[in-house]
Amino acid sequence: MANALTRRSLLGATALGFFGLQSLASRNRARAAEPDAVTIGWPQDVPSWDPNQRFVPDAQPIFKMVFDQPLDQDPKLKLIPNVVKSWELAADARSLPIELREDVVFHNGDKMTTADFRYTFFERIKAGHKVDIANSWRKVTDIEIVSPTKAVMHFDSPAPTAPQWLAFLGSYVVPKDYMEKTGVDGFRDKPIGSGPYRLAEYELNARIVLERNDAYWGQKAKMRRVTFEIIKDPSARVAATQSGEVDLTISVPVREVQRLKNEPNLDGELNPITRVILLQVRDDLGFADQNVRLAAHHAIDKKALSQAFYGGAAVPLSVPATPGTAAYLDDYRFSYDPELAKQLLAKSGYSIEKPAKFTFASTNGNFPSDYDIARALVQMWKKVGIEADLEVIEYAKYFELNRGAKLPEATLYSFDNATGDPEIFAGYLLNPKMPFSAWKGMEIGQRAIDLFNVANYDERVAGYKTLNKDAVESGASIPLLQSVQTLVRKKNLTYTRYENGWVRADTMAWG
Amino acid sequence: MIVQLLGLFARRLLVAIPILFVVSALVFVVLRVLPVDPAAMSMPPNATKSEIEAKRQEMGLDRPLPEQYAIWLGKTLKGDFGASIHFRRAVSSLIAETLPATIELALLAMLLAAGLGFAGGLLLFHWRGTWRGEAADLGSTMLMSAPDFLWGLLFILAFGVLWPLLPFTGRLASSFARPVHTGFLLLDTLIEGRLDMFLDVLKHMLLPATALGLAFSVPIMRVLRSSLYEIDHADYIRQARLRGVSEKRILLRHALKNAILPTLTLMGVQFGFLFGGTLLIEVIYSYPGLGNLMVDAVRNADLPIIQAVALAYAAVVLVINMIVDGLYLVLNPRLRAA
Repeated sequence: MANALTRRSLLGATALGFFGLQSLASRNRARAAEPDAVTIGWPQDVPSWDPNQRFVPDAQPIFKMVFDQPLDQDPKLKLIPNVVKSWELAADARSLPIELREDVVFHNGDKMTTADFRYTFFERIKAGHKVDIANSWRKVTDIEIVSPTKAVMHFDSPAPTAPQWLAFLGSYVVPKDYMEKTGVDGFRDKPIGSGPYRLAEYELNARIVLERNDAYWGQKAKMRRVTFEIIKDPSARVAATQSGEVDLTISVPVREVQRLKNEPNLDGELNPITRVILLQVRDDLGFADQNVRLAAHHAIDKKALSQAFYGGAAVPLSVPATPGTAAYLDDYRFSYDPELAKQLLAKSGYSIEKPAKFTFASTNGNFPSDYDIARALVQMWKKVGIEADLEVIEYAKYFELNRGAKLPEATLYSFDNATGDPEIFAGYLLNPKMPFSAWKGMEIGQRAIDLFNVANYDERVAGYKTLNKDAVESGASIPLLQSVQTLVRKKNLTYTRYENGWVRADTMAWG
Repeated sequence: MIVQLLGLFARRLLVAIPILFVVSALVFVVLRVLPVDPAAMSMPPNATKSEIEAKRQEMGLDRPLPEQYAIWLGKTLKGDFGASIHFRRAVSSLIAETLPATIELALLAMLLAAGLGFAGGLLLFHWRGTWRGEAADLGSTMLMSAPDFLWGLLFILAFGVLWPLLPFTGRLASSFARPVHTGFLLLDTLIEGRLDMFLDVLKHMLLPATALGLAFSVPIMRVLRSSLYEIDHADYIRQARLRGVSEKRILLRHALKNAILPTLTLMGVQFGFLFGGTLLIEVIYSYPGLGNLMVDAVRNADLPIIQAVALAYAAVVLVINMIVDGLYLVLNPRLRAA
């Protein structure tokens, strides 16, 4: 009798628990989409609500919704007016007159003037605010205010990419009066921009809710409300998309994109973007010999890498630039030629029996398939007579080694450049004066340094085109693939695709 | 008893202070010895050598280690944990924002673990020597074998995707405006008088708390069962049986009170591990707590956050152990007499 009672109690408790759970539960699958709201699963939170503070590429599509940049880019990355309606870089690139629109208003009703522009790109930096734009705008000596809508930026040396930087990382106009009143900390807690959305709600590492700014000077967004759910784990992002908790997400594994494409209400995309997967190389130690560098490059089957790890969507690259950008060479190909690689190595006395040796570093999980690519490269090199000692490094360790000029001979890296401008691709990668550049050889390096001071755009681009080819042919640069952005969305959610991977909520619509 | 409790808390506090000192020093030294460069991490790719060096000096990283520790300690004692390298805001504010979420999650997980553990322990004892007991034992071993993050992923798959019954990201549905009072959302929703919000918060916590608590419930079950075995042969239990007291009453009214004591001590120890387990669970469930913050900090080599969070974890574990010791004193009259 005691046992029966216990069994009955247990069954009763289980039934109660189940029905209790049901009463707490709600069905999430195929949650009915509100016609004017969208939920986006995003891999990273913003570092802070001061948009000038940190250069974080993943935060830019969110910042662009709340704040305005002086200039913008169209989907093909052509520089276009934004709150700055006209600009003209001087012939010597030492000044940049700009003219603001007259109808731009911050979310608190204050009109945007050149005082705000000067405050953002000059006064804040001079006041010692800890902002990353202090690095990108270090050449600014003054911003001369001509009128509430006209100003002139003055530089201490040629700044040929100043217009590009007005549409790049961290360059958002912040309201001077409001920031001075609230202080930087107060601004971060209650940010004010002039963008198509205002910040309605924010929880650190959890959620960002934006409400449409109906007083926006530009085209009104179709979505009244945009919610970014911060979901850092890629598996959780996949699950959230599949369950319908989010309407769109990015940066999910390639194989998941291919799987989710088969779901009836989802679409998966592998979009090539202006991000280069490459090897940052040194000009000394095991890579002092040009033959070894070139052999290492000729031994890499980039098509196979793309097929194996990106479903064939990643475009093999022969120069450190992506198709469609200014200094990309449409007709130039660096050949995959293992036999040539062996010949080059033989010239320097190396062979499969007596391989060339160097250390090769790679992160694991920093970008999709990084470690897999690294292991594949090691095998490809082995077949021609190169023995690479693969070292896995943490993301934080990469920065320590890179900035301290201690990277090994070759390091696998993924480099983003939303502008597509060649200075930020080849210029940064090959300028030996920049700690970021692993390459310190002056023959190629001096040419990169010189191009930083070329004012004329066409001349500059032509210079980079030649530099790109020469850098590759001397082994100073080993580009591999154009990176792809993985994106999964509900089939009836449309958006405008940008070649730099921006996913802009203000272009989204249900249709 | 109040006096005894206060005395106990005072003694534990005195012991906690040197423990926290040692923890802080250890963490500080280990972080400085590790090959990471927070100055480099915090600078963009176009930074020059001199800018990186200036940053290093600004962070005080060029000073001798003991001097760095002394400066950090002096500020910490005033409640200033420094500024986050990544977020560039006060670490104390970041911890204040995230710690309540983690404590809330850990407490719910511990409650679930205790509930499951006690129920399971009683059943295991009741079914001792039967096939049900053997089956339950095997089941509990399986529960314990899977790590909490594996349960976390399985729950998402099962209850989030295949049979979408429960949400698995965040703390609250986006349709609700988050109440801001204490940071403990369950409490905040009750303060607002919003039962619907309270239930929604509970729904969001259920999967991560269960994933976290599941593995911890098994040791509780087993320790309780072992304690009950021991007590079962005690004289006062035999006498109760001789007086005709029912088995159910013996178990619940007499044996459990004494068997619970070792279980309580175990729970105090386990809470430390469970609290640490929130790290991975918070990442998997996009739960905005201290663990999530810590993972970001490690990735970004954000030393001020890592130091402060390590200290926060140590402090929470010490406080919990203090509470457990207090409960032990309350429940064990022999300790009070001593």
